Amino acid sequence: MRMTKQLLMGAVLGIVMVGTAGAYDGDWKRGRVYYRQVCTDCHQSMAKKTISPNEKTKAEWTAYITADKHDATKKSNPSLKYATSRAYRDSIKTKNKAAEKFLEVPDAELQADIKAWVLYGAKDSDNPSRCQ
Amino acid sequence: MNLPPGTTWLKVAVTIMLATAFTAMPAAGASKSTADHSKFKELQQNFQSGPEVTKACLSCHTEAAKQVQKTKHWTWEYLNPENKQRLGKKNVINNFCIAVPSNYAACTACHIGYGWKDDKFDFTVETNVDCLACHDTTGSYLKLAGMAGHVPYKDMEYPPGSGSFVKATDLKKVAQKVGKTSRDTCGACHFNGGGGNAVKHGDLDTSLEAPDKELDVHMDSLGLNFTCATCHKTGGHDVAGSRYAPTAVDRKGAQVRGSEDRKNPATCQSCHGQAPHTKTAKLNDHTSKLACQTCHVPSFARGGIATKMSWDWSTAGKMGPDGKPMTVKDDKKHVIYDSKKGDFVLAENVTPEYIWFNGSVQYTLRGDPVEKSDQPTRINRFEGSPHDGKSVIWPVKVFRGQQPYDTVSKSLVILHTTGNDDASYWKHFNWEKAIAAGMASVGDTFSGKYDFVKTEMTWPITHMVAPKDKAVGCVECHKAGGRLEKIEGVYIPGRSRDHLGLLDTAGWSLAALTLFGVVVHGSLRIATRKKKD
Repeated sequence: MRMTKQLLMGAVLGIVMVGTAGAYDGDWKRGRVYYRQVCTDCHQSMAKKTISPNEKTKAEWTAYITADKHDATKKSNPSLKYATSRAYRDSIKTKNKAAEKFLEVPDAELQADIKAWVLYGAKDSDNPSRCQ
Repeated sequence: MNLPPGTTWLKVAVTIMLATAFTAMPAAGASKSTADHSKFKELQQNFQSGPEVTKACLSCHTEAAKQVQKTKHWTWEYLNPENKQRLGKKNVINNFCIAVPSNYAACTACHIGYGWKDDKFDFTVETNVDCLACHDTTGSYLKLAGMAGHVPYKDMEYPPGSGSFVKATDLKKVAQKVGKTSRDTCGACHFNGGGGNAVKHGDLDTSLEAPDKELDVHMDSLGLNFTCATCHKTGGHDVAGSRYAPTAVDRKGAQVRGSEDRKNPATCQSCHGQAPHTKTAKLNDHTSKLACQTCHVPSFARGGIATKMSWDWSTAGKMGPDGKPMTVKDDKKHVIYDSKKGDFVLAENVTPEYIWFNGSVQYTLRGDPVEKSDQPTRINRFEGSPHDGKSVIWPVKVFRGQQPYDTVSKSLVILHTTGNDDASYWKHFNWEKAIAAGMASVGDTFSGKYDFVKTEMTWPITHMVAPKDKAVGCVECHKAGGRLEKIEGVYIPGRSRDHLGLLDTAGWSLAALTLFGVVVHGSLRIATRKKKD
């Protein structure tokens, strides 16, 4: 009986947590900082170019993020989620201040931030944005 | 389920709760405001227009509009108390898009108001003040050129006839999420001065939205993360620091809390004082002659975005092979020719020019005489001299170009560029009609004869402050052909003009003789001692 109550409480809390996490709609400003100082840094060294939000439409970005296929050169981890994960941030924190600063941000939150930023600056948005 | 030894369900629950709390925490940098505007019933309505939002804002912030209406951001006017020149965006002529009059509906996308489409705009109506332009935090509030300061209130084709569409602004959402000003809100206009990103200033562009420390030590988004208002401290909606009344020299110390000092807070000295170099005190000896920016902003347009360096209106109007307006881009995809505007030169990582500057600026305004010659007309002449006791050496961007003037009245002219009417230059490319309409809009006449005159406009460089290890090094000035080679009236050891070969030879000869003497003397002493031993 006691075990059942504990399980029930855990389940309720879990639902609350998922619900709360789902409510987080992404901070495009924090996404912009991470994108410009982590993503762009890597794009420039690996792909020898910048990749800007204004290179895709909102629909294209959404599809791209959903597909979770990132590095076409196969020089690095092909998962897009990995590029925002704590594991990745931890691996580069000594040479990238943004990765260090955002080390403790939950993966899902940072992914939402990045998505909010690329949609904010997408080709068909009100603010087509490029990365310098 | 098997839990690790010592783990209880209570611990699991607590862990879940903590995770929940952490997930629900606002993102870093989120507002710490004491008010959640989404809870105000005044803002829980579907607004149909910007003025409706302002009306709701003013129901609590009763004095805000009155304060705004006293500022340059509202009036676009400034009376220079020194020389009585009437300045401000409404009055000056520049060598970018030339002038605001007759182009209000386009230019006033950067006015903090609604409805300024012609010279009949009522500056006294409080609901004409646009609160959201500066206090939006969503990034979705976008004032479009041609809409007289309004945002789209419904989905619409923009620009008209383009086939592109913009969505209606969600005014309710924007109003409920208002906050302090940010680099984004200020930058929406100030990063895009002159008609586009990075065009005008050189040290202000969208790279400063989220800069790293290399680009600007103060605005570093991972460090100090200054907003514009951190330095341009605002009181009663009046923003400190203005290029119409610049502070070239600040001889006062750092401002402290509680100080009644009314000086401009947007100076380096306001925080750093007069002797900021603690490790290399010799550098403090330079502050009487150099602005801080001269060493600490080694170059501008450093954020990866090219700034315009010149604009030649005289070549505008050429059409493409299809008879339609065209643009030409260079290999970096910069537009270097536009039928509507003429030829451009753009550049990145630009080393500033340097001038003596005492804070006084003399504008060439409409009606002031200009003469076509090889010497350019200086649209805003920065005054200063090594001998006036109130000037220091400043870094500047000098923007050069050619623009139309009336060859009979010998005065710069206003050009009507925007809009869909018969006189719009960007629509019909007819100089006579466009100039006549521009001049008529301010009650002036146009002789019908025009030509182009060379002009220069000077912009102080003060943003994009580099880390101290990237500041201008000693040898960049203390050498022949250095950065300050052309600066008059100051002795700079190592510079060509401060270098006299004969004197150097004499000095080095004396040093060599001294060394020779020391060596000989020492040798003799040693030799003598050995003999005695």
